[in-house]
Amino acid sequence: MKKPILQAKNLTKRYRQGEAWIEALKGFSYDFPPGVTAVVGPSGSGKTTLLNLLAGFDTPTEGEVYLAGNPLHALGEDDRAGVRLLHAGFVFQSWNLLPTLTALENVAFPMLLKGVPAKERTERARALLAEVGLSHREDHFPRQLSGGEQQRVAIARALALDPLVLFADEPTGNLDSAAGSRVLELLVRQAQGERRVVLVTHDPEVAARAERILRLKDGALIEIQERP
Amino acid sequence: METLFLVVRNLKARPVRSLLTLLGILVATASMVLFLSFGEGLRKALSAEMTKFGPQIRVVAEGTGTFGVPNPELGPEVLSTLKAHADELGIARLFPAAVMMKGSGFDPATTFLFYGLPEGITPKDLAPAAKVVAGRLDPHPDGAVVGKQKAEQSRLTLGKTLRLSRKIALPIVGIVDAGSGFANSFIFVPMKTVQEALNTTNYSVILVYVKEGYAADEVAEKIEALIPGVDAQSTTEAVKYAERAIRIGDVIRFGISLIALIVGGLLVANTVMMSVYERIREFGVMRAIGARRGFIFRLVLFEALLLALSGGALGVAAGIAGSQVVNVYTTHAVGLALSAVTPRLVLFSMLVAVTLGMVAGVIPARVASRISVIEALGRV
Repeated sequence: MKKPILQAKNLTKRYRQGEAWIEALKGFSYDFPPGVTAVVGPSGSGKTTLLNLLAGFDTPTEGEVYLAGNPLHALGEDDRAGVRLLHAGFVFQSWNLLPTLTALENVAFPMLLKGVPAKERTERARALLAEVGLSHREDHFPRQLSGGEQQRVAIARALALDPLVLFADEPTGNLDSAAGSRVLELLVRQAQGERRVVLVTHDPEVAARAERILRLKDGALIEIQERP
Repeated sequence: METLFLVVRNLKARPVRSLLTLLGILVATASMVLFLSFGEGLRKALSAEMTKFGPQIRVVAEGTGTFGVPNPELGPEVLSTLKAHADELGIARLFPAAVMMKGSGFDPATTFLFYGLPEGITPKDLAPAAKVVAGRLDPHPDGAVVGKQKAEQSRLTLGKTLRLSRKIALPIVGIVDAGSGFANSFIFVPMKTVQEALNTTNYSVILVYVKEGYAADEVAEKIEALIPGVDAQSTTEAVKYAERAIRIGDVIRFGISLIALIVGGLLVANTVMMSVYERIREFGVMRAIGARRGFIFRLVLFEALLLALSGGALGVAAGIAGSQVVNVYTTHAVGLALSAVTPRLVLFSMLVAVTLGMVAGVIPARVASRISVIEALGRV
């Protein structure tokens, strides 16, 4: 049997809030196929909770989650970090980059964590920055870059170790429409081969670029919409 | 290496704060180096003194402190007994001296130590390296030969007159460089003049050269056993005694500098802790990307260590500079370089600085490495 690249089984997360228990995610099950999958829903629907669990930022109260064949629900925090490093890339809404590192160093950072030799790191980081059209910004610090440029650096960094899964959480949320569509274009283009791109958004236009849309409401998966 | 590069980047990103912390550790380490350099200096000066001082044993009346000025309480019979038993005791030669102190004893410039030497004995018998600077070496029959240090301190020159008592005064007939700080602060005069001024025929001290092949310690013990009421102090014993006193001083000085060190350590801990709180999101991003706890722990700990190490190294350098300034002053005042920064002091100070960095870094490093990704990134 093939190892599941990104799969959730009966994923449930409950928080205690004062006296009451809040069920942020209720029995979510889905085996993500290759390509772009958008997760949509109003705020409070459980999108962020789902991404936290799929990426192993947090542990489920119940259920199972597999990333690149690794049972994240059964691993400790450090082991989950190790799985993330090798198999997942992240693009967040904001505060993506390390402020004391240049664009090039930011892209090289995951490779540094993995122990890739310096020369190889720099070469690959250069190539990735070229791919997102930022060769001329290699030595700029994040504060010297526009929001759209920062997101593109983040995409380059997310691809540094050629991950099986790319998580993007409201990647265009803070951008104007021109910069936003360029970032989105780049992200969608990364869904090649076996790679899964998970796009969390509340913007219908962004979701429209995905091959399928998962709709969440009150912590439950209420609709799976396959697009032609 | 990789971690170090990240640490340096972070410190550079907050230059003023890094610099202020560095200064804090610098001052703390420098003050410790300077404080402890006095002990090291005393040790060095002391052992140098002891090798420059000719006689290995000084016999004084019981109750005289090891480095104290002896009172003229040894009767002529002590000298004759020693002379009679010299051979069996292992004594090569011996001579008496009468010592008299005039002045406060506190301020070196107004304190005069008259060292009365018997006829035929010159300052060279006390300090073998002694050299004449001006005039002559021998105070006899009725002159005074002043140690170089004393001459400079109290502005004594050839031809000036020194008054031992209301009736007795001697002209200065020579300036001598005895090669040692102690002997250079003496004024050598004929013994009979001191005895006359003190109105006694007793001696203050009998100085003993030990025969080759005999241990000064053992000879001193035998002298004490032979003659009741005397104290035979060997130089090795004096060094041991002084060493003990210096060590007590070391502990006290270290205790004082510990306060500065603790303040320095708190400074580092505070800086690093602040920097951790400011960078919680940054650590969150690192953890999200896949950094393990150990990586973040090392990152923060190295930051504290680097601050402590560089501050410590600069502090040692500042301490060495300070020690030299102190020595210029003490050489002028008492003829001894009292401060010395020895390799082991440098090593010790660096060790303390590194320990400081470790201790100051551990808690912030722990806090940083335990940050939860979802809390750090506001994803709750």
